Amino acid sequence: MIYEIGHISIIIASFLSFLSIGVFAFHFFREYYFFSTLIKNFSKICFFFVLISFLILEYAFINSEFSLDLVVKNSHSTKPLIYKISGLWGNHEGSILLWTLILSFFTYLIAKSKSIKSSAFHIAVLGVQNIILFLFCIFLLFTSNPFARNIDPPLEGFGLNPLLQDPGLAFHPPLLYVGYVGLSVSFSFAIAILLNKKVEFEWFNHLKPWTLLTWAFLTGGISLGSWWAYYELGWGGWWFWDPVENASLMPWLISTALIHSITVTQKNNQFYNWTILLAIFGFSFSLLGTFIVRSGLLTSVHAFASDPTRGVFILVILALSTLIPLLIYGFKNTHQNETKYFIFSKETGLLLNNIFLITSTLTILIGTLYPLILETITGSKISVGTAYYNATFSPIMIPFIMIMSFAPFLGWKKTPQKSLLRNMLIIFILAFVSSFIIFKFNNTSIFGVICGYLSILLFFSIGFAFFKKLQNLKTLPLNYYGMLVAHLGLAIFLFGVTGEQFFKKESSNQIKINEVINIGDYSVKLENVKNFKIDNYLSETGLFKITKAKKFIGEVKSEQRFYPVEKTKTTEAGIFNFILSDIYITMGEGNLKEGWVVKAYFNPLVKCLWFGAFIMAIGGILSLFSKTNRKYI
Amino acid sequence: MKPKSQRLIILFFFISLLSLSTFLVLKSLEDNIVYFYSPTDINKKILSNNIDLSKKIRIGGLVKENSILKEGKKISFKIHDGIDEILVTYNGILPDLFREKQGIVALGKIENKNFSAIEILAKHDENYMPKEVSDMLKKNGKWKGK
Repeated sequence: MIYEIGHISIIIASFLSFLSIGVFAFHFFREYYFFSTLIKNFSKICFFFVLISFLILEYAFINSEFSLDLVVKNSHSTKPLIYKISGLWGNHEGSILLWTLILSFFTYLIAKSKSIKSSAFHIAVLGVQNIILFLFCIFLLFTSNPFARNIDPPLEGFGLNPLLQDPGLAFHPPLLYVGYVGLSVSFSFAIAILLNKKVEFEWFNHLKPWTLLTWAFLTGGISLGSWWAYYELGWGGWWFWDPVENASLMPWLISTALIHSITVTQKNNQFYNWTILLAIFGFSFSLLGTFIVRSGLLTSVHAFASDPTRGVFILVILALSTLIPLLIYGFKNTHQNETKYFIFSKETGLLLNNIFLITSTLTILIGTLYPLILETITGSKISVGTAYYNATFSPIMIPFIMIMSFAPFLGWKKTPQKSLLRNMLIIFILAFVSSFIIFKFNNTSIFGVICGYLSILLFFSIGFAFFKKLQNLKTLPLNYYGMLVAHLGLAIFLFGVTGEQFFKKESSNQIKINEVINIGDYSVKLENVKNFKIDNYLSETGLFKITKAKKFIGEVKSEQRFYPVEKTKTTEAGIFNFILSDIYITMGEGNLKEGWVVKAYFNPLVKCLWFGAFIMAIGGILSLFSKTNRKYI
Repeated sequence: MKPKSQRLIILFFFISLLSLSTFLVLKSLEDNIVYFYSPTDINKKILSNNIDLSKKIRIGGLVKENSILKEGKKISFKIHDGIDEILVTYNGILPDLFREKQGIVALGKIENKNFSAIEILAKHDENYMPKEVSDMLKKNGKWKGK
């Protein structure tokens, strides 16, 4: 009975969002003062109904309620509690419910917001938000009902894919979803701005904090996913240019561009057409990401076995939410005021930032969709791998980061050219010399040298900016710090990329107990192998001793797990942590007589990758709390 | 500088960047795409000598029963698509999901009419079957799944 309530709650929520759309539509013809109260209340109540249905489904997962089809397929009574909870979003139906929950929560927050002064604008934002919410409710109800009953309940469930039984999964999808769904907010604001007869520049201020928040979550979600893939999949890498990873990177790049573009619009009302366009495309890309994951059209670690109608449905939402806004945008025909700005100015810098980010997004888009298009046209199956992205995405990033090193010194409209160029020359040379001292490049590929140099260049530019403003640190706005911190995050990230990509060492061999593998200066000895039975899996654990020049460094365990319920094996890499670097060991199958196949990597500076991303997100949050952004949430 | 010439500079810059990246994209698509073949396709190609041995390709199929041979780190096994089969040799750690009758995808090159794999791909959906392999089996009428 209680599960029927969950189902009915979604139906009620979809009715409420439909009513909100009605209010929004009616508002075009007649303006009543109570409309705004009405739509706000509908939106708020709607959130509670989605929440109820989410909690009921969570209750079903925790209690292993096998009369629900979804629970049977994705859960098992012996699973630890945390994976019962996170099991809800480890499958299609549940993750769409989570998506809808976050969407309605954002709608609730907008409804509660007191900073939006114009009630017509408020109604329009909520109206657009409710259209999206309505479409997702319908999607849930008709193609992916999480409350579908199993007429003949089995005694036990099928279990959850063991790869997903990891704390990483508990957090990675929700964070990423907040990021994806958050882009709907900037989308709704942009459409609401378009729908008004006159462009009110005041309204652009609302876009910034929401985009910053979304962006910070997106950054966190992507990097958490990358970290999870690194330690859980046992492939020793952190980014695979998998279609699903690309699907999350593209909205990230677009929203990064959006943040920079809004800054110009806020400051001197420029670029506003462009800002609106980016806000529209940001959400389109987040829907495209959902489409790629849910349609099962592309092979990927993330692909859920899926039913084609779902893909078609999301494709329809994607088409509607891109084409209709673009039509409105096209007919709107706004004129841009010309303001003069010089080549050496913040405007130019931010413009270049946008050009580079968009171009790089396009190269990823082509690489991701090309296999699909080619298969449809010619029927041949191809895959586009890392080599493609190294040849396209990476070269675009080189001038991008060089220009980024100018960022802290550029002023609005005009920057004194002479001192700027002199400063930059010093920074470029200093960075060049120091990068050779720090990395000691020998036999490093040219890309390695460039990558290392760029990270040091950014460090220097940020350090220099900080040093220059040392006298008036307190008077600087929080935005400026946010920018510096986020850019610093990228510098740290690049530092990690340089280490991990160009100074990595790996070796693999079949070794018996007490035999040794050498990687770089380290030797790894297999001490013993033991078998355990833990919770819901069997483990074969190898203990490895790491030494450097006969000096004991530490011990680390690497595991092969077998999950009897799912009949699957997983590899748990053994990771020995230095402060910034890792020794990463995976152990394959084997026995006492022949030994075990062991693969060992030395990954220098690898932690900088995720630490850098974390710092970037912090930068975004810092900027969110600045005076100009805080009051517009 | 006049706004007009400023716009021209930006436009020029944008177009040159776009054409440069288009060039990069097209060039690397030509060099870096990897084609997928079934054992039947690849044997036909080997017979007719219609194959570029220097290019990496991917093949996929089901691991044949009793065909897995291990000699230290060297592993060889056969994969089939219900019609034809090919011998695959590999040097390294097999993915977690590797076992008999399992669908796999391998990346590598043809050497002496056998397939020498550089990488055995562990990508799979929740039914543990690579999409390429399930499509291929469906085409050959050997698909047993849902």
